[in-house]
Amino acid sequence: MSETPTSPSYVADATVSVSSVSKWFGQKVAVSSLSCSFGPGLTGLLGPNGAGKTTLLRMLAGLARPSEGSITVEGRNPRSHPNVYRFLALVPEEDAVYGHMTGRELVAYSSRLSHRGHDAARVEAALADVELTAAADRPISSFSKGMRQRAKVAAALVNDPTVLILDEPLNGTDPVQRSRLISIFRRLGAEGRTVIVSSHVLQEVERMTDRVIAIVDGKLAAAGDVGAIRSAMADIPYRVLIESDKTRPLAVALLESDSVIGATIDGERMHIETTDLRELGRAAPSIAARIGCRIAVFRTEDDSLESVFRYLVRRR
Amino acid sequence: MTPVIAIGKATVGQILPWRRFLGLGALANAPALLVFLVTSADQADEFETFVGITAGLFFGVAMPIVSLVLATASLGDERRDETLSFIALKPIPRAMIALAKILASVAAATAVLATGAVTLGVARGIRTGEWEYVLPLLVAAIVGALVYASLFTPLGYLTQRATLSGLAYVFIWEGAVVGALPALASTSAWRVAFSAFAALVPEEVASLVGDFALGSVVPGAGGAVVKALVVVAVATLLTTWILRRRDLA
Repeated sequence: MSETPTSPSYVADATVSVSSVSKWFGQKVAVSSLSCSFGPGLTGLLGPNGAGKTTLLRMLAGLARPSEGSITVEGRNPRSHPNVYRFLALVPEEDAVYGHMTGRELVAYSSRLSHRGHDAARVEAALADVELTAAADRPISSFSKGMRQRAKVAAALVNDPTVLILDEPLNGTDPVQRSRLISIFRRLGAEGRTVIVSSHVLQEVERMTDRVIAIVDGKLAAAGDVGAIRSAMADIPYRVLIESDKTRPLAVALLESDSVIGATIDGERMHIETTDLRELGRAAPSIAARIGCRIAVFRTEDDSLESVFRYLVRRR
Repeated sequence: MTPVIAIGKATVGQILPWRRFLGLGALANAPALLVFLVTSADQADEFETFVGITAGLFFGVAMPIVSLVLATASLGDERRDETLSFIALKPIPRAMIALAKILASVAAATAVLATGAVTLGVARGIRTGEWEYVLPLLVAAIVGALVYASLFTPLGYLTQRATLSGLAYVFIWEGAVVGALPALASTSAWRVAFSAFAALVPEEVASLVGDFALGSVVPGAGGAVVKALVVVAVATLLTTWILRRRDLA
C-alpha cells in the first residue's frame, strides 16, 4: 500500500525522510518499500526481532546503502555527505565498543573524531549523564552489557547530535539504568532533537514516546501514536508467560477474569491469552496474593507481539 | 590531535596488545638468535649463512607473517567486532580513515620488525665485529612493513579468510612461484624490501647479497622506497573505494 505524506507515518517537519526504501541481501528481503519520516522529538521504532529495524537504522545512518529508494537526513544523503555526521550519531545494537579502551578513553576518542575536536569537559559531562563516571577508568572489556550500552550512549552524546539513532539501547540494562536512559532520551527529544529509538518491546517504547512506527518483515505495520496502535491491536489476544509456584490454582483464578480468554499449563509455566494486557498486569498480583502463590516471571512473549504485527501488516 | 592520528593511535592499541607484540617479536627476533648461535668470524661460509638466514627467515618468513597478522587485523578486527561504525559515523572522509588504518598497520609492523632487524644486525656485529648491517636491515624492514602492511590492510576487510589468503600469497606465490620463476621477482614484496638491503650493504658484498634472492629485482634503496610508496597510495585508494562502496559493519 502506498503512503501519502499526510498519513501517520509522516511528520510535517521531517529531518529524516525514508522514501520507498527496500533492502535485500541476496534472496532475503530485509526492508520492503518502506516510506516514513522522523522529525524533532522521540519516535519509537517498534518491531519483533528480525523485523528489519536494524537494517533500516543502518540505512538511516548511511552505513548500508538502500537497494531501492532514498534516504535523506536534513535533506542530504548520508552515504555521500560525511558532513551529516557533524550532527548525526548512531548507537548500534551490537557490542560495538573497543574492549581495550576504558570508558573514558572511548568517549574521548569519539570526541576527538568529531568536527569540534576533543573537549574534556564534554567527555566528563557525557559520562556523568549516563552515570558512568565512577567506572570510567575501567577497561570496557570488564563492563557488563548494560554498562557497555551506557558507554556507547555517552560516546554518542559527547558530540551533541541533533539526530540521534539508538538501536535497542535498553538491551541488557537493569531497571534503574533503563529508567535513567529513558529519561535521557525523553529529555533529548523534548530539546527538539530527532531521537529514533528501536525496540521489540511495546511497553518499553510506550514509556518513552507517543509516536511509534511499527515494522514487521521489513514492511510498515503501523504508525502513529501508541494509543492508536493499541486500539488497532485491541481485538488481538496477547500471549503472556507466567511462572508460578502454584500454576494450576492461579490459572483457574485468572480465567475468572474477563480479560483472560485462555490458558495453557506446562509444569510451573503457563501461557495466558488476554485481550487486555494492562488489566491482566494489574489483576495478576492481587489474584496471586489472594490464593497465596508467588509469581516468579510475568512477561509478554515475543511471538505474540510478532503475530500482532503480522496481523497489522495483513490488515493494511 | 587530528582524526588520522587519533584513529591510527587507537588502531595500534587495538592490533598490537602486549601479548601479540611479544609473540610476534619472538618471531621477528628468531633469525637474530639463529645468527648469534650458528655464525662466527672464523667460519668459512659465515657470510653466506648470515645472508641465507636473513633472506630466508627474516625477509621471507618473519617479515610477511608479522605484517600479515597486524595489517589484516587493522580493518578485520573492526569488522569482526563490529566497531567500524564508530569511526565511519564521524565527519571524516573515507580516504582519511583508509590512510589512518594503513599507516597504523605500517607503524605496528615496523615496531615489531625494527626490533628484529636491529637485533639481527647486532647479532652479526657481536659475532663478527661487522656492525654496518644494522642500518640496511632497519631501512629494509621499514620498506617491507610499508609494502606488506599496505597490501594486507584492505585484504583484512575484504575477506574473513584474510590470514589464509595472505599466507597463500606469501608461501605459494612468493615462495614457490617466484622462487621457480625469478622474472616475477618484482611481484614479491619481501624481495622489494631485500633490494633496499642489498643496495645499502658494503659494496664488496652487494653482488653476493643481490644474487642470493633478488631474481629480476635490481638492488636500489630509492627504487624500493618509491615502489613501497606507490603500493601505499594504491592500497589507500583501494581501501577508500571499499569503504565507500560496501555496507559497513
